[in-house]
Amino acid sequence: MNIRLKNLEKKFYKKPVLNIENLEFTKGLTCIMGSNGSGKSTLLNIISGNLNYENGQVLYNDKPFTKDIYSSMTLVEQKPYMLSRSVYDNVAYPLRIRRYTNREVHTKVEEILQNLQITELKKNRGDELSGGEIQKVALARALVFSPKLLMLDESTSNMDKKSLENVERIIRNYAQMGNTVLFVTHDLNQAKSLTENIVNLQEV
Amino acid sequence: MDYIANGFLKALNLIVSMDMELYKIIALSIFVSVSGTLISALFSIPLAIFLGLRNFYLKKVYTRLLYTFMSTPSVLVGLLVALFLSRRGPFGWMQLMYTPAAMIIAQFVLVTPLMTGLVFNIVNKRGKLIEKTGRLLGARGIDLLILIIRELKVEITMALLTSFSRAISEVGAVMIVGGNIKGHTRVITTSIVMFNSMGDYEIAIALGLILLLISLLMNSILYGFKGDRQ
Ligand SMILES: Nc1ncnc2c1ncn2[C@@H]1O[C@H](COP(=O)(O)OP(=O)(O)O)[C@@H](O)[C@H]1O
Ligand SMILES: [Mg+2]
Repeated sequence: MNIRLKNLEKKFYKKPVLNIENLEFTKGLTCIMGSNGSGKSTLLNIISGNLNYENGQVLYNDKPFTKDIYSSMTLVEQKPYMLSRSVYDNVAYPLRIRRYTNREVHTKVEEILQNLQITELKKNRGDELSGGEIQKVALARALVFSPKLLMLDESTSNMDKKSLENVERIIRNYAQMGNTVLFVTHDLNQAKSLTENIVNLQEV
Repeated sequence: MDYIANGFLKALNLIVSMDMELYKIIALSIFVSVSGTLISALFSIPLAIFLGLRNFYLKKVYTRLLYTFMSTPSVLVGLLVALFLSRRGPFGWMQLMYTPAAMIIAQFVLVTPLMTGLVFNIVNKRGKLIEKTGRLLGARGIDLLILIIRELKVEITMALLTSFSRAISEVGAVMIVGGNIKGHTRVITTSIVMFNSMGDYEIAIALGLILLLISLLMNSILYGFKGDRQ
């Protein structure tokens, strides 16, 4: 999916937060960097359709927001909310609302849990996990329905080194499969090791 | 002072001897309050979720109004419902005055602001977060509503129990629209008032104990739920 921002302006109580003249995200992995408060989370929320803006346009494959786009994208928030049910059911949720059969749900969930090396967590409650575990489950819950556009808001900030290597490999592969991945990170080394596409958000 | 101790003993005797009149009163009380609360829930819960999630014009004013109605004295609710249901009122032709149906309506009106207010408060706090998570994962419409209710089921159940407790323990509204007619609209609270004024302390005490027992039960369930969360 191709995302184009034109003359995008966002204010919070008259305080300008974003002012983007022209910016385009294409297939593959883009890292978004910028200091605290530069509007990275705000930008991802706008693209995900969860925040309105004062001026400008956001286009998806050169078209405005539609129902199809709504269900083929997702954002892993900076502090993901875990549903108060098991990890398995958290990850299964996006498939269940898309009316997948139980068998399909089972196959896909087991596969993604294994990829992220969190199979042993599957019976734990989603709202009783550590910070790093939450990030892995949230990533699994996002990847499980193969969104064309995947947005990650500092989604690896609490992971240990071993998990990080595995997750970075998964994210890179996912982008290489033709999906669009926008990854907000604070770690310049991480960004450089992942991609050449790095966008720096300036404070307005 | 003897009459108090005596009253207690006779009350216990009435309870264990399954006194017919006593149990009819208890059964009607529970029936009326459960019905009023459940019918209100069908209406209050979706409304509260809607109000809690949306930002609309004058939301603060509506919220204030809702909170005021949450603590309306039950006699006022009784009076209001009676005005509508009495023979000369707009719904007089339905002949509901002094029937259990009228009592259910009164308790519905009584607990609806309370339940709406309680659920609204919960949704205002955690509901938006749940809604956003659901949306980000692709849910909409009825799926979103189900998700929010399921995520907040403990809190919503607590609001239900709190509303039921208020309904079963109030006396003003059911007295006015029910009329405390023996074998027909007599409930625990109206009986206590009446038997007390007649000097029939045993049955008044027995009913008081039952009411206490119901309260205790509700509180332990509520407490159990709260304990679960921690
Ligand atoms: N809901 C909000 N209400 C008011 N101000 C907000 C809100 N969300 C973010 N902001 C402000 O907008 C600016 C950008 O926030 P954010 O996008 O979270 O930055 P970043 O993710 O780059 O650290 C910050 O100054 C923040 O205080
Ligand atoms: Mg942020």
